[in-house]
This record gives sequence, C-alpha cells and structure tokens, in this order.
Amino acid sequence: MATRFEVVLWGEDAVRLRAAGEEALAEIRRLEGQLSFYRAESEISRINARAARGPVRVEPRLFRLLERAAGLYVRTEGAFDPTVGPLMRAWGFTGETGNVPEEKTLLEIRRQTGMRYVRLDPEAYTVAFDRPGICLDLGGIGKGYAIDEAAAILKEAGVAHALLHGGTSTAYAFGRPGEAEAWKVAVPAPGDDDGDDLLAVATLADEALSVSAGSGKAFEAGGKTYGHVLDPRSGRPVEGALLAAVVTGSATDADALSTALLVLGPDAVTRMANAFEGLRALVVSPAEEGFVVRRAGFTEGGSGPRT
Amino acid sequence: MKGINGKKNMSHDERKLTRRNFLKKSSMATLFGVTGGVEIVPERPVPRGSERRAEVMNVGLIGFGAWGREIAATLARIPEVRLAAVCDVYDVMLRRAERAVPDAARVSEYRAVLDDPEIHAVVVATPTHTHREIAEAALAAGKHVYCEAPMAATIEDARALARAARDAEDLVFHVGLQFRADPQYLSVSKFIRGGALGKTIMSRAQWHTKQSWRRTSPNRERERALNWRLDPTISLGLVGEEGIHQIDTAMWFLGGRPTTVSGFGQLLFWDDGRAVPDTVQTVLAFPNKVHMIFDATLASSFDGQYDLFYGSESTIMMRESKAWMFKEVDAPMLGWEVYARRDKFYKEEGIALLANATKLDAQDLGPTDPIPGAETPLFHALKEFTDNFFFGPFAPSAGYREGYEAAVVAIRANEAIVGNEKRAIDPALFDLE
Repeated sequence: MATRFEVVLWGEDAVRLRAAGEEALAEIRRLEGQLSFYRAESEISRINARAARGPVRVEPRLFRLLERAAGLYVRTEGAFDPTVGPLMRAWGFTGETGNVPEEKTLLEIRRQTGMRYVRLDPEAYTVAFDRPGICLDLGGIGKGYAIDEAAAILKEAGVAHALLHGGTSTAYAFGRPGEAEAWKVAVPAPGDDDGDDLLAVATLADEALSVSAGSGKAFEAGGKTYGHVLDPRSGRPVEGALLAAVVTGSATDADALSTALLVLGPDAVTRMANAFEGLRALVVSPAEEGFVVRRAGFTEGGSGPRT
Repeated sequence: MKGINGKKNMSHDERKLTRRNFLKKSSMATLFGVTGGVEIVPERPVPRGSERRAEVMNVGLIGFGAWGREIAATLARIPEVRLAAVCDVYDVMLRRAERAVPDAARVSEYRAVLDDPEIHAVVVATPTHTHREIAEAALAAGKHVYCEAPMAATIEDARALARAARDAEDLVFHVGLQFRADPQYLSVSKFIRGGALGKTIMSRAQWHTKQSWRRTSPNRERERALNWRLDPTISLGLVGEEGIHQIDTAMWFLGGRPTTVSGFGQLLFWDDGRAVPDTVQTVLAFPNKVHMIFDATLASSFDGQYDLFYGSESTIMMRESKAWMFKEVDAPMLGWEVYARRDKFYKEEGIALLANATKLDAQDLGPTDPIPGAETPLFHALKEFTDNFFFGPFAPSAGYREGYEAAVVAIRANEAIVGNEKRAIDPALFDLE
C-alpha cells in the first residue's frame, strides 16, 4: 500500500490509548505485509505466482476479502476490478506519463484482465486463475480494509472515539473528538490546495469517507487525446470524472466504490447510491468552465450548490 | 511407525504427498547455495519409515494473541494442515478467531484441546510463563508440540519441559526458534561454519523499535494479564522475548555456548509506571574468547533489526532473511565473488549471499529484489513441524535441546540485565541428565 496511516484517538488515559493505537497500526502493517502487490513474500504475491497453475489455499480472512472484492466487481458493473494492474501498467498509468500500447499487446493484456477469471472456492478457501497472466492487486480496496480492521481492534480495546485515515484518501471515524458533536472531514474541490473551496464536509459517525481522483494525466499521442481514468471494462482510458467521493458504513466498500464511480462517471451516482444502502456519493466532472458536481445524498457542508 | 489413520483410507488426492513425493519436494525446497552457484546439500535428516503418519494433521492452537494469529494465518497456507481448534482465555481473541479461522472449534480451556482425540498436535503460543504447564500436559496427552520460544520463563521450567520432550520419544517436539528452519539462515550458517569469516572476531545484533510494548483492554483484569511482558515477576524482558532469536542465531553460527553474560538495563523513555527496562545491552562471552553484543530498545527504531558476524577476513550481515558479506582487502579471493551482486551500505560494499542463488540468476533478480513467492521463517518452521509429524520423527532444526539452551542463556541474560551485573552460565546447566 505504501501509504501513511494515522490514527487520532480521543480519551482520558493517554497510556492506554497509545497502546490501543499501536495494536491497530500493527494490524495495518500485518495486512500490508499480506496484501501488498509489491512485496514478494506477501500472500498476494504468492497467489499471483501460483494461482494460474492450480488452486492456492489462502487465509480465511483474505479469502473473505477476495469474495467481497468479487462481489463489488459485479455490483459496480466491472468498474472496480482488482485484476486491472497489468492494463494500468501497459497504459503507463502507474508512471509519470501515459503511453499507448500496441493493439496486439492490448488485446493480449485484456484477455488477462477480469475478476471473472478468478475462481474462489469457499469450501477449500482456495483461489485459482482461469488463465495465465491474471494478477490480483488489492490496492483499490486494501487501504479501506486495513482501516476497517484497525477500527475493529480499537473498539475491542475499549477506545470510544477515533479517526483513522490512510493517505488522507480513505478515512473512518467513530465517537467524537472532545466536546465536538462529531468527526468532520472536508473534501476540497479539485485544484484547491488551501482548503478555501470545499465540495463537502462529511460528518462521519461509524462511517467511512473515501475520495478518488484520476490516477493519470490526460495525454496526447498520435493526434489523439486519451483520458485520465482507465476503464477496466474497455481496457482504455476514458475522460472519466475528476474526482469521486463516497460515504458509507465500511471503509472497504468506500475505497472500492470511490474508484468505481470515477470510472462510471456522474450518470452512475444515483444508480450506485440506490444499489448500496446508506451510500452518499458525489462525482465531479470537467465542464467548459471549471467543473460540475453531481450528488446523491452527499449534500452536507461545502461552499454552496454547484449542480 | 505408528499410523493414526491407516493408509488404506487415503483418497487419491490425499495420497499426493507420499514419502517419495515428500523427499522430492523437500530436497527441491532446501536446495540453496551462495551466489555463484555453489550449492550446499541441505542438512535436513532423511525421514524414517515409509508411510505418512496421517492424511491430514489436525492442529490445536493455544494462544491467539498477535503471534498466535500469525501462526494461524501461516498454517492456513499448508494444505495438509487443518486448524481444528483455537484456544484463548480472552473472549475478544476468540471472537477474532471466529472470523480468522471460522471452521475451528473455539475453546477457553486448553484442556479441551488436549482432550480432543482428533487433534494430533498443538502449537503453544501463550505467555512464556505458561508454556511449561501447557506443553507438558500436551505431551502427556500424547500430542505433538510446537512450543513458542522461549520455551519457559525459568530454568527449572525449561529443564522440566525439555526432559519431558526428550522422554516422549514417539512425539515430535519443536521450539519456535524459527530462523533455524529458514533456508537463508541455514545457508549462511554453513558458510560461516565453513570458515568464511577467517578468524571470528565478534558478533553484534540489535533489535530496535519504537513502541510501548503495552496492550490494553476495557477489562482491567484482562489488561493486567495481557501485559505479562511488563510484569517483572514473569517477564524475561526484551532479551528474553525478542533477543532470544538473535542470541540463538549467534550460538548456532558460532557453534558454542556462552560462559558468562554481562547485562545492563535502563528505563529511559516509557515512563508509565512499568518496571521492565525499555532499553538493554548484554555481552555474552563464548569459550573461544569471542563475544556477542546484543542490544534492544523500545525507544528508538533506528536501523531496526540485524545480526553481524565479524571476522578477520570478512563480516557477514543478516537482515530480514537476507545476507551480505563484506570482505577485508587482504582476504583471499573466493573465486565466485567476481560474479556476485553487490550492494552499497554507506562506504562499504556488500556481496549478496543468496539462498537459491542459481534459481534467482535464472530469473535475473538482484539481491534486494523481492523473490517471488518467498516464504517467511515462520512458514519454514511450521512446515518442518508438519513434515516431521507426517514423515518423522527426525531431529528438528530447533528441538528441545536447542530450545532449552537458548532459554537458559536468555534467562541468565535477563537476570544479568535486571541486576546490572555479570552472571556466570555454568556449563553444567546445559546438561539435561
């Protein structure tokens, strides 16, 4: 994940709060070791190295997470896809500049992309890939999952008020800080660096906020302009949304859904909000002058309506 | 060779890991060498008997704290193992077990695990001072045992448990000194014992982190129990709970037992009412005049954890299951090192020593590149335990003797630290008769 995680705890006894915070952060480190795509000894690396040759047994909790990712893949119409990594790399979305892969390469990689090629056997807790080349990368959901698990540990340890975040893009909060009524997290507008222009101020009560923005820059090649968001369904960059933000009960879901909404764009906001109970969402898309915001339930705070 | 389940009942699938297959697999898995393709034959003993002991190994895990959970997650990757029961005295841990190991029975009394005739083996991952009682009872109940290190908190307990393990001839007994089962450590141990250092000068190891070592719970009584590491009446402190692994590595690589230990302990940073030092240093003197220096702290994470072995011709550093050799300019050429990969550490240049180097060469990987599908030391240790159950008994890389000797040294080292003094380690202590 290579992300900085922070926990903010509020309570009376600093010694005990610190101990609880350490345990929560230790769990995040453990999960990072298990889920990291880039660590050779991670369980994900082991799956990627072996699952095309046959079923690989995995830890039951990781198995649940993979089932959950597969469910989100279906429910987001394929817009959230944990096997999209090779496509991202082919288009240069993981580096500084984009590049257009050759049609032949693209076809080949597209054949190796799709959560539908990942077989999960709940009896045996095994994962198998239907074809070689499939690669699981839980980067789009792992951060949220780690935060959910860490929050559970804090609650077990008796912490009543906490805010956790990973890389400031996914946050989860419960209880409240001091005398304040609730934990509040602001979502700045795209391009706003000093917090003057806020899209929303989310009030989080046992809830998670996740914000996703385009992972690459739009780029030109061969006289054609390519968008800044990769659509796993077409295998091509699209002029997707500039930013998507969601609030829901689970950080795991929030992480995946903000990624999916970035791909699906503003027209899907209401559809997704209806499909996921309690989901509040907003999507920012480019307009001729600046941008427009489409909201579903996510109306709190902000510097005024813009839809 | 006793067979709990007869071979006749084996299904086609379960038969996959026959003895022949096992030998093939294990020699593949433990082939290692130093860079340049020098392969060293693995030390793992050839298993006795011709039939596997059972089709599936049913394991009971006693203790579901942080390390117990790591053990459960690792066991889940070994297909022939079924984690049948999880035991913990704290209900929060059992609730975690419900999610982490949904198919395992959950019990709060370790007796219930031992009374289950289906369970072949137990892993003991409870607080150190409870190891003896539980592991002894497990052996008495006819269970194979993997006991976490240190195997006990007092020499008396360690000795009693080691004797019980020695006398239970039909039962496999491993101690969780997991680096001993790691192919990279095995490879470096051979290299050092083969004279790679020239004259051994000294060994130095550190374990640095910044954390309180404290646990918390809404239940105050439970919280006291969780914080056994901070209770000076039962804790072996940093040197016992963490340092034992690195001290054991030094005893293994240097091939001897220390005769004295000097210790220093300070409480410098964690001013929260605790009495167990948060910073310690020890000097262990080996019979050949070589010293091992170990220090640990909970107040600075600088440079983390590593082991150094200094010699007149070269120095070897181990870090996260990786190893490097730093040669003196007047050291003889070894031949292969001109082909080896090198890493810079400030002004020093380290020659990477890699287990499985030829395989890595084929994959065009550098020494700091991640090795795809690499396994953790814990995995290797638990895999050796399960192999020993199925195909043994063979002498484990960390059995009751290694476990006992490491515990004796760790206990004496902690006494030296607590008293800020020098303690003798009487060679007679290592005698189990």
